[in-house]
Amino acid sequence: MKPKRCIAMILAGGQGSRLGLLTKTLAKPAVHFGGKYRIIDFPLSNCVHSGLDTVGVLTQYQPLELNTYIGNGKPWDLDRNNGGVFVLPPYVKKERGEWYKGTANAIFQNAGFIEQFDPEYVLILSGDHVYKMHYGNMIDFHEASGADATIGVIRVPLEEASRFGIMNTDETGRIIEFEEKPKAPKNDLASMGIYVFTWQKLKKYLLEDEQDEQSSNDFGKDIIPRMLAGGEKLMAHRFDGYWKDVGTIASLWEANMDLVSCLPKFNLYDREWRIFSRNPALPPHYVAATAHVQNVCITEGCVVRGTVERSVLFEGVEVEEGARVSDSILMPYTKVAKNAVVERSIVDASTVIGEASHIGSEQSNCGDFRSDYCTDGITLIGSNLFIGAGVSVARGSMVDRNLMV
Amino acid sequence: MKNAMGIIFTDRDEYRLSQLTQKRAAAALPIASRYRLIDFTLSNMVNAGIINVGVPTQSNYSSLMDHLGTGSEWDLARKNYGLFILPPFVSQGSMTGARGDIDVLYGILPYIRRSSQKYVLLADGNLIYNMNYCDIQRFHRDTNADITLLYNHIDPAGEPSRYTMLTVEEDGRVTDVEERPGHTGRTSAYMNVMLLEKSLLEALIEGCVARGEHDLVMDVLVKNTNNLRIFGFPYRGYVGRVDSVESYFQINMDLLDPDIRRELFNPNNPVYTKVKDNVPAKHGEWADVKNSLIADGCIVDGRVENSILFRGVQVRRGAVIRNSIVMQDSYIHEDCELDCAVIDKNVHIREDVRLVGQPSYPVIIPKGATV
Repeated sequence: MKPKRCIAMILAGGQGSRLGLLTKTLAKPAVHFGGKYRIIDFPLSNCVHSGLDTVGVLTQYQPLELNTYIGNGKPWDLDRNNGGVFVLPPYVKKERGEWYKGTANAIFQNAGFIEQFDPEYVLILSGDHVYKMHYGNMIDFHEASGADATIGVIRVPLEEASRFGIMNTDETGRIIEFEEKPKAPKNDLASMGIYVFTWQKLKKYLLEDEQDEQSSNDFGKDIIPRMLAGGEKLMAHRFDGYWKDVGTIASLWEANMDLVSCLPKFNLYDREWRIFSRNPALPPHYVAATAHVQNVCITEGCVVRGTVERSVLFEGVEVEEGARVSDSILMPYTKVAKNAVVERSIVDASTVIGEASHIGSEQSNCGDFRSDYCTDGITLIGSNLFIGAGVSVARGSMVDRNLMV
Repeated sequence: MKNAMGIIFTDRDEYRLSQLTQKRAAAALPIASRYRLIDFTLSNMVNAGIINVGVPTQSNYSSLMDHLGTGSEWDLARKNYGLFILPPFVSQGSMTGARGDIDVLYGILPYIRRSSQKYVLLADGNLIYNMNYCDIQRFHRDTNADITLLYNHIDPAGEPSRYTMLTVEEDGRVTDVEERPGHTGRTSAYMNVMLLEKSLLEALIEGCVARGEHDLVMDVLVKNTNNLRIFGFPYRGYVGRVDSVESYFQINMDLLDPDIRRELFNPNNPVYTKVKDNVPAKHGEWADVKNSLIADGCIVDGRVENSILFRGVQVRRGAVIRNSIVMQDSYIHEDCELDCAVIDKNVHIREDVRLVGQPSYPVIIPKGATV
């Protein structure tokens, strides 16, 4: 087989535990985003547009929905004769089988997969972010600079820098120091969790890392510091576009709302850089004579008879007459019954909000569901639930069961 | 539907679709915000389990080929059979243009012969309805028919002269077939869908060609009600027949009715179409949409009432669209007013333009125009 210049590996095994109920039965990369996408659509589409035709998706936590979603990769044009998309769960080896212990260990365990394609470079991505980026430019930069590893970085506000892995670079962009979540950051260049490695070099360090029993087998915590200590050439590659970690309920809500404004902060309208996704075969959305719809992202299969403002509606959502939905995300096939009110909430898939109930109100009338997951006054209703007529749920709640008055 | 192949006719000269079919086959006509006419018949076939579908084309077939592609959206990109787009085969000695559907079928006779299925379902691609074709096959076997015709009941007070009308006895036997008979009070209108055994079809095609005959209805059905066991199977759901600008307009408007939509887009029999990976539709700050169907990729910031917007349409602030159909990627600029208009693909309606038609005679703006 002809060797590949570069293949991509997407780390998609994370639980995304800060997303609370949203990741109860699915992995974080499978979480819905932006009306018709899932988070993994972004790295997958970026790969295809960047000319990468071989992508491994490393899964571990709740992989079933993600596996089905990726399928044979056809929606992303990744059903290829030589290459394509591969789902890579942990597997049993000769003596023993083991889970992926860390991000670096996950790649180490799949070294055999990578070797089959004999690539020059390996691109490591995470399935946790939404952004549009041309990885090809980064790979070219890596090659031209003769680096052993290149790390995608983005400017963050200095006061937030202590939440990230910060790269301290010299004037040529070479990384001289890496600090994971520093208390007193010297720099505002944060790691985006995007790495290009020269494969032979990475292989050497992965092997060393495996032999270190103390290691947590993590790229940021172990491999990068080890390579720096080993005197390898690590370069920072700056990205200036929209990039968002959607790891918390508040950040997921906010990233969705970034699509709602008229000139969206996150522009998905570029015909040459379409974000691909698995499409449901549903009719166009219908807006009834009784409806008021403003500043809304809405997709196929939806029927709106009520009022919807500043919200994102996924496929098959129904909003009945007299209902009011504002500043909210309604996941696929949810239904908001007559005269119900949904404010500043996320309603997960296939949940029914009963007549005249109020989600995101001042007070609950059937128990206290306030949760630390739900910051910024956002309310989260889990999937496949029924919220009975007249129920009020206070803002900041996370509801995981059917409610009745 | 066991052991059957499908053939979908894509164009007929007699359809009075004016500019709408100047650059495309009738079956490729966009309808219902994100579909083309052929999607309905093709999806019916696929949902019935047919895996061998031939689509003969005559002229202007590039948009049809572009739409159907490899057939993978209908799960018809297969190693065994699948979708076959069959452009006209012109060679020395053969005729250069098909005069009727018999000529079209004769042109694809090698494909029909090569297929191993026992039955053939022939259907026109310009009707929209959602039905399980397996019911026809069951009826065909139960009645021991030679040919089974699908029909629906129409209001005799309407305008039946456009259709082929059947006289169907109580037992289902078709005793008379009349092409556009005028006002006869007949109510059973043929839906241009027939099921028969492939061997019979082959014999009928060859017989017609040998006698210089061209038309499936006039030369096969009309002449053989006594010689062949021809039966009629009634379809009782919604049927939209797109055969004129007026009917095209009306059928699009019919889709604003939730009952008709529920029937046509039955989740157990989904209607498949080409996926374009458009962004979800956006209703902006100034959007005011009432009783309308809107596809993904649209950006609406004006007023839209009783209208059908296709994928990627933009409606700017101050524009008013009523009772209109706006096809893919057209751009309606600030302060335009449209009423009873059919705007074809990639049209620009510039600022302050006013276009007003009538439901029976909508204004049609052809593909790519700037007004």
